[in-house]
Amino acid sequence: MRDISTSINKVDNDEKTSGKAIYVADIKLDNMLYAFTVRSKIAKGKIIKIDYPELPLGYYIVDYKDIPGKNIVKVIFDDMPIFTEGDITYLYEPIALLIGPDKAVLSKLFAEVKIEYKEEEPVFAWKDSVIHYHFDKGLGKSALEEGKIIEYVYQTGYQEQAYIEPQGFIGYLETDKTTLIGSIQCPYYVKNAVIQALGAKDDEVRVIQAAVGGAFGGKEEFPSLMACQLAVALKKIKQPIQLVYEREEDMLVTTKRHPSRINFKASIKDNKINGLSVHVGIDGGATIGLSGVVLSRALIACTGAYAIDNLDVSGDVYKTNTVPNGAFRGFGAPQMFFAIEMFVEHIAMELGLDPLEFSKSILAKQGDYTSTMGVFRDPVLMPEMIEKALEVSDYNNKKTMFKKQQNLKGVGMSLFFHGCGFTGSGEKNIIKAKVRLKKQFDKVEILIAAVDMGQGVKTTFRKLVAHILEIDIDKVIFNNPDTDFVPDSGPTVASRTMMIVGGLVARATKEVKDRWNEGSFVVEKQYEQPDYIKYDESNFKGDAYPAYSWGVNVVEVEVDRFTYQVKVNKTWAFYDIGKAIDERIVIGQADGGLAQGLAYGYLEVMNHDKGKIMQKNMTDYIIPTAMDMCSMETYLYENPYAYGPYGAKGVGELSLIGGAPAVAKAIENAIGKKVFKIPVTPEYIMELMKNGKD
Amino acid sequence: MVKAFVAKSLDDCLNILNQENVKIVAGGTDMLIQNRTHSGIAIGFKTDVLYVSLVDELKHITEDKSNIYIGATCSLEQILENNLVPKILRDSILEMASPAIRHTATLAGNIGNASPAGDSLVCLYLLDAKLEIKSINSTRYQLLKDFILGVRKIDLAKNEMITKIIIPKINFDLVYFRKVGPRLSDAISKLSFAGALRMENNLVKDIRFAFGAVNIFVVRRREIEEKLIGIDKKTIKDMSDEIIGYYSEFIKPIDDQRSNKLYRKEVCSNLIKEFLEKI
Amino acid sequence: MAKIKFTLNNEVVEIDKDLNMRLLDVLRNDFNLTGPKEGCGEGECGACAVLLNHEIVNSCCTPLANVMDKEIITIEGFSITERYRIIKEAFAKTGGVQCGFCTPGMIIATESLLNKNPHPNDFEIKIGLSGNLCRCTGYNLIIEAVKEAAKAGEGLW
Ligand SMILES: Cc1cc2nc3c(=O)[nH]c(=O)nc-3n(C[C@H](O)[C@H](O)[C@H](O)COP(=O)(O)OP(=O)(O)OC[C@H]3O[C@@H](n4cnc5c(N)ncnc54)[C@H](O)[C@@H]3O)c2cc1C
Ligand code: FES
Ligand code: FES
Repeated sequence: MRDISTSINKVDNDEKTSGKAIYVADIKLDNMLYAFTVRSKIAKGKIIKIDYPELPLGYYIVDYKDIPGKNIVKVIFDDMPIFTEGDITYLYEPIALLIGPDKAVLSKLFAEVKIEYKEEEPVFAWKDSVIHYHFDKGLGKSALEEGKIIEYVYQTGYQEQAYIEPQGFIGYLETDKTTLIGSIQCPYYVKNAVIQALGAKDDEVRVIQAAVGGAFGGKEEFPSLMACQLAVALKKIKQPIQLVYEREEDMLVTTKRHPSRINFKASIKDNKINGLSVHVGIDGGATIGLSGVVLSRALIACTGAYAIDNLDVSGDVYKTNTVPNGAFRGFGAPQMFFAIEMFVEHIAMELGLDPLEFSKSILAKQGDYTSTMGVFRDPVLMPEMIEKALEVSDYNNKKTMFKKQQNLKGVGMSLFFHGCGFTGSGEKNIIKAKVRLKKQFDKVEILIAAVDMGQGVKTTFRKLVAHILEIDIDKVIFNNPDTDFVPDSGPTVASRTMMIVGGLVARATKEVKDRWNEGSFVVEKQYEQPDYIKYDESNFKGDAYPAYSWGVNVVEVEVDRFTYQVKVNKTWAFYDIGKAIDERIVIGQADGGLAQGLAYGYLEVMNHDKGKIMQKNMTDYIIPTAMDMCSMETYLYENPYAYGPYGAKGVGELSLIGGAPAVAKAIENAIGKKVFKIPVTPEYIMELMKNGKD
Repeated sequence: MVKAFVAKSLDDCLNILNQENVKIVAGGTDMLIQNRTHSGIAIGFKTDVLYVSLVDELKHITEDKSNIYIGATCSLEQILENNLVPKILRDSILEMASPAIRHTATLAGNIGNASPAGDSLVCLYLLDAKLEIKSINSTRYQLLKDFILGVRKIDLAKNEMITKIIIPKINFDLVYFRKVGPRLSDAISKLSFAGALRMENNLVKDIRFAFGAVNIFVVRRREIEEKLIGIDKKTIKDMSDEIIGYYSEFIKPIDDQRSNKLYRKEVCSNLIKEFLEKI
Repeated sequence: MAKIKFTLNNEVVEIDKDLNMRLLDVLRNDFNLTGPKEGCGEGECGACAVLLNHEIVNSCCTPLANVMDKEIITIEGFSITERYRIIKEAFAKTGGVQCGFCTPGMIIATESLLNKNPHPNDFEIKIGLSGNLCRCTGYNLIIEAVKEAAKAGEGLW
């Protein structure tokens, strides 16, 4: 039998290439109405009065007064109203939906809505901490009382997911059942949020996933807000309604990657980091949502790929009157890995040591303690991966050679990991994933809530089941999740899908295999945490993740000496993801993630001016084109994880994490100045070349 | 409802322009985006519009002894692929937008849009381009630099349209165009630069500099260029600081969501250096 | 409203419509051709790309008036051709499809490019794809797909 990693064609290629795949905006229902969102024009204050134009027959306003259940979007920290009741906390906060059959009429009515506000002074500074975390490891702060002290501050900006398909839902009522079809990552997040908004019973809400045109975290929690609004409208109007954002609205109002400021202080003894003190500040925007979880992932990653005995770790989520920030591939880790990778490099430079040798000397090994006193239980292949990286990229040679050259070329290397699955006891206590397989004659249907948003879930899961059962992949069925049929296997996030859900599916499949001759039956499996995983959430103690995926990126750049523009010439990437369930799909994840990570590091600028996002369309928010990207070489390492199917660990997020630090270090190497923030734009490079630190 | 007139010939255009109060749409790549409202409904033009892109008479690129003539409805891609067109103009068009946009967008539209970031304008100023402008009862010729009156302001009467872009034939020994955008393709310029040089007996005979997106107008200063005529090759190569100084008062960029003043100004200076290095 | 005639996927069609509509909306709403997608609505992403007289254009910034008497081919029309089959197989083979939202546009861009230049080099391929944004793939596997298609379809273009 062929090794499972051997690639097959993706099962949904044909429908996608031929344009037949149905995305939300492609669905038309009889008597369908359209919804526009009425939004605040100020960042903070109170609504005094709203004057809606007179509505023609068949046009409606839906606002908080129409909500039958709770006016709160159920996320993780529930503090976002579905529609404001008068308090405005950020620009473009949703106030109401304006709904009707003719978009031209809606557009006219929309322009006639008049709202009076009492404005208040908005807060943009990072001072109102709404979540504060702190933990120590070893000696904590006291380790910083001796040795040589080195301190630096690092900053990261917003990043927009920029999925090419904007957010959207379509909804209708089937007798009493509110049915929503959406571009979503988490069918059950949406369903549970809608149940709470409507005060409905479990069987009164149905959520179906349409083809998803990219998500990257952007369709994790945000869709729940839209779904609640739409569900409320459906209850009132009882006619099918489409709520699809256009690009500008999407960019102005949807969640983005949290900007961060990370302060590091290290004490150095015998050329080793004796103690590390770190503070992470992130901008949560106007609501907390899942900012706390993003912060904890960042904090837990504070040692980077290294073993450091003494830690004093703290962080805050700040509330500001800006658009709420949320999930984005990597979830706090990209911010932290940028910072720690730069810091370790800068420490080495200050100590007059070779940065890579220094990094290698403090690398975490199997058996070492993590920042939270968990253990890296599985073998860590980093030394081998670094050796390979040096060899194929000719890193050392280039690094010295480029330093001497007139033209501004540079190479940079980043070392990183990603904790797979939910942080802490999330899987056990909150998600409690459940999967179901239905065997009927010679076919098996996979019933899970995992969403294929391009990452290939439909292919890899069918392949997994077919491979275990030794049957043809055509005999395995996997339809887009529909909450009326699939159990809650959890959200499609946190690089958990193959490792956790796939692990469960593999277990269920083995049972199907054992009972193959029984005819038609159903097998269900529920997540059980491996016994050794114990985590104390409130004290940040124990194993925060069951397993870790590891990576090394090398990036070569050239900086234009006249315009300071950066051109990425080539990348080399090395990933330990346990086991690839399909190599080509993993390479696709690797390339795409690295492209996002690189662009986060040097290209993608987003900022706000008094709460207004300045780059509000694809013209102003710059993501890479084919011209900007370069050839990427990827090497995969096998290092099976006992509880993952065939040993698979997380893939999806890992590849985004190393891009920014690697490109930032490559630029440092090219210009001979230290980089402290991303994106490293030409404007910043110019500033560094004039006044930067050597 | 906003009315749409579709012209099939130049006569159609001129007649409609004469009778109706219309705004011209060529490729529409500026007009549609600027007047966009919502998907699914008609473009929110403020006035009636005249579509000219079907006018085949204006889809030709021709030459005579002294000039190249580019018809107003030629697509950018068509211009890009035509060897009659001076290389520097084609270089600038290659850096505009993407193939999909270039297949419909026109050079006349880039001029008519009169944006300080219009990429072709820098080269057209550099080349002393002229326009042929027609109305039902007149044909006039105007230098591009006099035609553009400000940001989105042009010297065009209600009943007139651009029919040709006229580019004088000049041989340069060195031409150089550089668009500085936020990424390597398909993006609006932070700034752009064009330079051209002709030497005779090792002395500067004709030297030109033009800068885009750093002032309301493309910056081209003849009085500065004239100062440099007659200087020998070695000397001019070393004159970057002086030349940068001359241009300093004219390069007045702004801060915006794409870049900042300091960067734009400094890179203009650097590109003067780069151009001189190439001599 | 005005009557307008053009060729759509090899069939002459006539429709009575406001000529100030975007071609994209007319294709999607009046002809039910949802292969062209709206990703940005401002000419930037190429998800809405179609062939106009066999060259790629963005239907979101093409007014209906401009297609009068012209020939439009959408992914639906293109997908019955041999060239499509070659391109599609190349995308499958290299792994050029992820979420698929950019894919119809990418296929149209590939066809437009190969139609003009059957043997493009890497740089020409990048130019050819430069108006089609893909957030999933990082482009490499798509570039590979174009090369693969050019090779496998030798003689077709
Ligand atoms: C995604 C995208 C990327 C772009 N990238 C670039 C870029 O890189 N660089 C750049 O410079 N521009 C860029 N543009 C802007 C635009 O494509 C160009 O300005 C283009 O040349 C406009 O041509 P058009 O025929 O589409 O103009 P239209 O939109 O049809 O018209 C533009 C203006 O010109 C007027 N006009 C058109 N024809 C005539 C005529 N014959 N006589 C008088 N007035 C006329 C119109 O009334 C209107 O005011 C981009 C646009 C988009 C959508
Ligand atoms: S939708 Fe037309 S280019 Fe993006
Ligand atoms: S495959 Fe998702 S945008 Fe290209």
